[in-house]
Amino acid sequence: MAIEQYVVNGLLVGALFAAVAVGFALIWGVVDIINLAHGEMVMLGGFVSYWSVDLLTGTNSASLLLALATVPIAVAVIYVVGYAMQRTLVSRVTDEDMFLTLLVTFGLSIMLQQLAIRAWSADPRTVNVMFETTSLNVAGLVIPKMKLIAFVGAIVLTAALWAFLKLTRRGRAIRAVAQNPEAAQLVGIDVEHTRATTFGLSAAIAGGAGAFITMILNVQAQMGLIYTLKSFVIVVFGGIGSVPGALIGGLLLGAIEETTAGVWSSKWTLAVSFTILILLLVVKPSGLFGPAVEGDE
Amino acid sequence: MSLEPILRTDGVTKRFGGLTAVDDVDLDVERGEIVGLIGPNGAGKSTLFNCITGSLDADEGTVTFEGQDITNWSEDGIARMGLVRMFQHTRVYGDMTVLENLLVSAAEDRGLGNTFARPSSEAEEHAHELLETIDLEGLADVRAGRMSFGQQKLLEFAMALMADPDVLLMDEPAGGINPSMLGNLIEYIRDANTDQEVTILLIEHNMDFVMEVADRINVLAHGEKIAEGTPEEIQTDERVLDAYLGRE
Amino acid sequence: MSTTNDTGADIVDGILDAAASVYRFFEGRGLQTLAVFTIVSAIIPLTNPSGFEMTVITELFLFGVLALSWDLIGGQTGYPSFGNMAFFGIGAYTTAILVKSFGIAFPLAFVVAAALAVAFAAFIGIIVLRLRGGYFAIATLGVLLASQQITRNLDVTGGASGIILLQTPTAQEFYYLFLAILVLEAIVVMYLAQTRFGLVLNAIRDDEGKATAMGYNTTYYKTAAWMLAALFTGVAGGAWSLFNTFVDPITAYNTAWNVEIIAMALLGGSGTVVGPILGAFGLHGLIRMVIDTYFTGWQLVVLGAVVITTVIAMPKGIVGTIEEHASAMEYYKHGGQAAADSSDADVADPGDGTVDDSGGDSP
Repeated sequence: MAIEQYVVNGLLVGALFAAVAVGFALIWGVVDIINLAHGEMVMLGGFVSYWSVDLLTGTNSASLLLALATVPIAVAVIYVVGYAMQRTLVSRVTDEDMFLTLLVTFGLSIMLQQLAIRAWSADPRTVNVMFETTSLNVAGLVIPKMKLIAFVGAIVLTAALWAFLKLTRRGRAIRAVAQNPEAAQLVGIDVEHTRATTFGLSAAIAGGAGAFITMILNVQAQMGLIYTLKSFVIVVFGGIGSVPGALIGGLLLGAIEETTAGVWSSKWTLAVSFTILILLLVVKPSGLFGPAVEGDE
Repeated sequence: MSLEPILRTDGVTKRFGGLTAVDDVDLDVERGEIVGLIGPNGAGKSTLFNCITGSLDADEGTVTFEGQDITNWSEDGIARMGLVRMFQHTRVYGDMTVLENLLVSAAEDRGLGNTFARPSSEAEEHAHELLETIDLEGLADVRAGRMSFGQQKLLEFAMALMADPDVLLMDEPAGGINPSMLGNLIEYIRDANTDQEVTILLIEHNMDFVMEVADRINVLAHGEKIAEGTPEEIQTDERVLDAYLGRE
Repeated sequence: MSTTNDTGADIVDGILDAAASVYRFFEGRGLQTLAVFTIVSAIIPLTNPSGFEMTVITELFLFGVLALSWDLIGGQTGYPSFGNMAFFGIGAYTTAILVKSFGIAFPLAFVVAAALAVAFAAFIGIIVLRLRGGYFAIATLGVLLASQQITRNLDVTGGASGIILLQTPTAQEFYYLFLAILVLEAIVVMYLAQTRFGLVLNAIRDDEGKATAMGYNTTYYKTAAWMLAALFTGVAGGAWSLFNTFVDPITAYNTAWNVEIIAMALLGGSGTVVGPILGAFGLHGLIRMVIDTYFTGWQLVVLGAVVITTVIAMPKGIVGTIEEHASAMEYYKHGGQAAADSSDADVADPGDGTVDDSGGDSP
């Protein structure tokens, strides 16, 4: 295959990585938490999609319309999950040592993973979206329709989140809390509720992305951690507060992964991604485009 | 007493982006002196300290200590050489006991050979002596973080003395201290200066305190040194008054 | 100590007081306690326990080593790692490869495995030890996962299927091997805690900037602690590879175990010698004796729950909480005297200009 094909494949899936990463960045920026259970939101969203289709058709195949309908369902359900998580658990460790919050969210990640395995086994599931022709041919490149739709879907989700933050009252409240929680409280913003909302939104966008991932790839109980770490790479690269940064980072990571897989071998993609993670952390934890992180006092 | 000042800065300059925090500062401290460093807020005093101790790299100028150019030395290297500093926001090792805080600061046990040995009896003696002097003997086994702010400040002072410094940089030692206790503090500082031959350079905002304890005073404003002299001279210096009252 | 009439709080205080007294008894008697423990443990195999019991106790020793090693760099030095198991995996695979493909005798294989784990630690340390707290944790997680992936992809390590070993020592030999490693490590850590080295590690944990300002090259100390942790973890990995007769990338480079040993160290009491070991015995004992039997398959769910609960409810762990309580009693005992003597050294409240008397300080 030509390199352009790999790159295109990478860009298509990269948008989904970006959408997931934007949610991750949101929590990091607003609630000041690195949520190691973020990937599980993707996984759970994927399963919501799968089981919705199963509920309505008794199979794992769906028309495009039905499949797309599961996305808002996933978004809604996972929003609630995220909100609840923050309100009940994570809020208790928000002011602690960074490591302790990492540990709690990691513990949560493990629990969710394992509960998913108990409930649905570790087998991967897919939602088969039915098309007459599965892909388009553009300028010699094969573009699978579902991947293209997922790409658009990811952009839509990201744009929706971005618009929400910029244009709505709740969105402004979120940004206020991110900048100065005390001041926000003084002007009457319910900081706890806002934080939980943020968590919910972040989880929701991840859940929506998860639904799409189930349609183009599969959903599997243990896939969460990888998405969490990819989000981390993307956010570190693009900068904690930057939605465009996350978008670029996601597309770039997707392209790198697919090219590595195509040119070298798919079994090396994860090793490459994790190495990039380490290197990025050493170079600049707050991202190449973000503000400098305070080191020593 | 040697002719060289024990500590000297020549033209030290430090910039942060567009802001020049320390501007071409020449300062010297003679062996055995207690020198004060005063100036309005934001004058660059702590930044100057940081350039001296190596926690910041000066953009221009040199720092000379005991005749050696230490401008680019590492922070820990400078401390090992005998230039020790205290912090404005008192820093001690919160989860370790008071005694452990002192033992880990001991100069007696420096050196690779002692790294994997228990603290020496000399160090323990020294630590207990210091605790007696500053009246914290009963708290030797208490977690340092549990003590009051004033007690922690005294502990930090004792830790610095445990390191057997030739020069001690103190950053606002009187800050937050009960006024009735300031007399004791001046005494502790004078004792360290005479009995243990510690040369002292201190930043301070409490005018009474610094005028009382210092032999000489340097004044910084907007990063520049604007005056130097005895306490009497400084108190009547026009430029100093202008700087503090905001007249330019 | 309790200022309310709440019976519940009184009971808790009573328990803590008793525990503090027990703690005070054992404090300073570390070596004796360790000796008793060693003798008792050495005798157990002679009382004809079942194969299952032997296995579980051997595992307790293993996790004791892992938790204590984690705590050396995590709890004592303040650099909590999500990736210590990388050393375990390296130790395991090195031993497996040397024994199986090169027919090297176990003891020599262990030595090489340990050396490789330590070398790897030194190399990785240069890169990651300059990061702080959470960032360090994530970087080490990256190291663990990258190592897992690389091992999974290479042929010399048997790829995803791993390596199977035969002709390994008896259950009893493993029991004593792991016991020996644990006791050895306990002695080393116990000793180091009393030396300047140990004090400096704690200083780094409490305030690394201060330690640097006081003349310590913290990089040397951090790296030494990291390498020491790698040494014992690597040896444990090597021993485990034979014990398990099987190494594969997922189990050898085990992210869940890494979280488990952190939970053990935290639950037992981070920063102490006995804490991580007790935590390991307790948590692993619970998982193997109770969960495995009655709630098979729920081990990791329980693990996750334990981690979360420990962090939220008991961040100092059991031993840590007891130690804290004992220290509080100490402060009150001396608080009266010392407070009267040094009450003048207190903070003048900047707000209203009055004096804050330390005599009434609460912990």
